[in-house]
Amino acid sequence: MKIKDRVLKLSFIALLISMTAAMFYAPTASAHGEKSQAAFMRMRTIHWFDLHWSKEEVAVNDTMTLHGKFLVFAGWPETVDKPEVSFLNIGIPGPVFIRAGSWIGGQLVPRSVSLELGETYEFKVLLKARRPGDWHVHSMMNVQGGGPIIGPGKWVTVTGSMADFVNPVTTLTGQTIDLESYALDNVYFWHAVWFAIAFAWLLFWIKRPLFVPRHIAVSTGKANTLISAGDKKVGLAFALGTVVIVAASMGSTNDKYPVTTPLQAGLLRGMKTFQMPEQTVSVKVEDATYRVPGRAMNMTLTITNNGDSAVRLGEFETAGVRFLDPAVHEDDTNYPDDLLAEEGLTVSDNSPLAPGESRTVEVTASDAAWEVYRLADLIYDPDSRFAGLLFFWDAKGTRQMVTVDAPLIPTFI
Amino acid sequence: MSASQSAVRSRAEAVQVSRTFDWMILFTLFTAVLGGYHIHYMLTGGDWDFWTDWKDRRLWVTVAPIVSITFPAAVQACLWWRYRLPVGATISVVALMIGEWINRYLNFWGWTYFPVNICFPSNLIPGAIVLDVILMLGNSMTLTAVVGGLAYGLLFYPGNWPVIAPLHVPVEYNGMMMTLADLQGYHYVRTGTPEYIRMVEKGTLRTFGKDVAPVSAFFSGFVSIIIYFLWHFFGRWFAKTDFISDDAS
Ligand SMILES: [Cu+2]
Repeated sequence: MKIKDRVLKLSFIALLISMTAAMFYAPTASAHGEKSQAAFMRMRTIHWFDLHWSKEEVAVNDTMTLHGKFLVFAGWPETVDKPEVSFLNIGIPGPVFIRAGSWIGGQLVPRSVSLELGETYEFKVLLKARRPGDWHVHSMMNVQGGGPIIGPGKWVTVTGSMADFVNPVTTLTGQTIDLESYALDNVYFWHAVWFAIAFAWLLFWIKRPLFVPRHIAVSTGKANTLISAGDKKVGLAFALGTVVIVAASMGSTNDKYPVTTPLQAGLLRGMKTFQMPEQTVSVKVEDATYRVPGRAMNMTLTITNNGDSAVRLGEFETAGVRFLDPAVHEDDTNYPDDLLAEEGLTVSDNSPLAPGESRTVEVTASDAAWEVYRLADLIYDPDSRFAGLLFFWDAKGTRQMVTVDAPLIPTFI
Repeated sequence: MSASQSAVRSRAEAVQVSRTFDWMILFTLFTAVLGGYHIHYMLTGGDWDFWTDWKDRRLWVTVAPIVSITFPAAVQACLWWRYRLPVGATISVVALMIGEWINRYLNFWGWTYFPVNICFPSNLIPGAIVLDVILMLGNSMTLTAVVGGLAYGLLFYPGNWPVIAPLHVPVEYNGMMMTLADLQGYHYVRTGTPEYIRMVEKGTLRTFGKDVAPVSAFFSGFVSIIIYFLWHFFGRWFAKTDFISDDAS
């Protein structure tokens, strides 16, 4: 009796746990893991830059865009699968916006794409506001075998009411429907029909005395008396009725929707790359250290200008955090504050570097963002390398981009 | 008090107690199957059942019957051989679908705001009813597995077609042709379900041209036969009373 009680109790607990687990499952709604993603993932995979969120406040049914560029880093870590199958996503908490469109190099990308290491791509995501609230909107790339790579996020406020949201779509058969609620009545109708049939079948049986008397009958060899000829007729009617309804409803559905196509899928290859201005500056990283107490990274760089105009270093970008030297470049894109160190970049000698000249300088990138965005955790990564983008400007405002990728040594004093 | 002393004093009272017992067992069976079956189906059928843009002619048709014939087979084994009740498959599938509807409505729609027309569950009822009736008429596990299992696989796609057909109407979107279901998957952003993990329209049955759904359904039916046998045995083993020592009764 004791064991039975315990078994019962344990089964009951197991039952409750499994029921709750299944019923409370909800699809991942948040992409808010940007800070918990390993720093080297953010620094050495996809570099998002020139990002622009078109609005900070948008009403339900209105649209906004997030556009910019991303560099698929040539020094892609060995531990992460190459982005041969990738999907341009958007990091928002579930469908608070709908993705009305997304493009890489002008090509619509509802499917997965193949990206090349070392190439830069231009992208745009068109979002239509659906649910009011303050939402962090991130750029995001899913890489098969590598997981989600979350880019910078910016807060956007959606105003209005979700009840007003509409999603009109015109099909190739010429009807305009609202995809938000399209075919919903049909779903409820067929499920109600089948639930009703199932309940009728169950009721037919459970309205009679069940377990005790039937168990007695079976164990005393009178099992055959439990199913009458009438029961068999009813059963047959249910089975035949089921088959007839399935066949008839399938036929009427085909009459009603004569044009249907299979789901569409497939990988898009040969995405158009973005040609960055020709690189005439070369940079050699002599050494790089991260000073833990000062929340600053120091790099010793030897910069050589092989071009025909003098240049200055204006920005260092890594993992979406931008360190600027305001004397050279100021941000006018309304980039998210927490990711922008407007005066975070100091260069020991940032006078214009003349054509043909070479100079070794000390560069410091310091900001609380190293801590806030947990980039400093890099020093605890298995492969303690840092990577980022350096942007140089000449007097005419022409910009060029140079990537750096080098070992990083922490200092704790 | 001695355990052997009878708890009831009259026949009427015995009938009443027996009936109360019926409802208790039914309730427990229903919730236990709901919990176990729901978890099992989520882990094995998962996204194929969650999203309309996974409900294709190949893999959904193949996977859903195979992984969902499990609990019906086991519960049938218990209810039929011990009680001659031909409702095991239907009761399982109804429990599962009620659990799914609660989950889809409260969590997918109520919590994360996916419209119900993208995340409704698949309909498994037609196959379940036929499975129950075949067991009742034939009183044979082998017959139920072979004829019922095949029917279960074959009825799945046509049983769902009236629900999903409207979502397979094609649309031209920014220069690309897709179905409304594809468009739902694209519009209603799922950060955790990138497009490449979507397993649709993949397979080796290409030579059959346009008629992939019937071929997939037949294949699914054949595998369902095997799975039916397996789970029917599980059910029989599970319904044994050997675990409970005699002094308990
Ligand atoms: Cu965020």
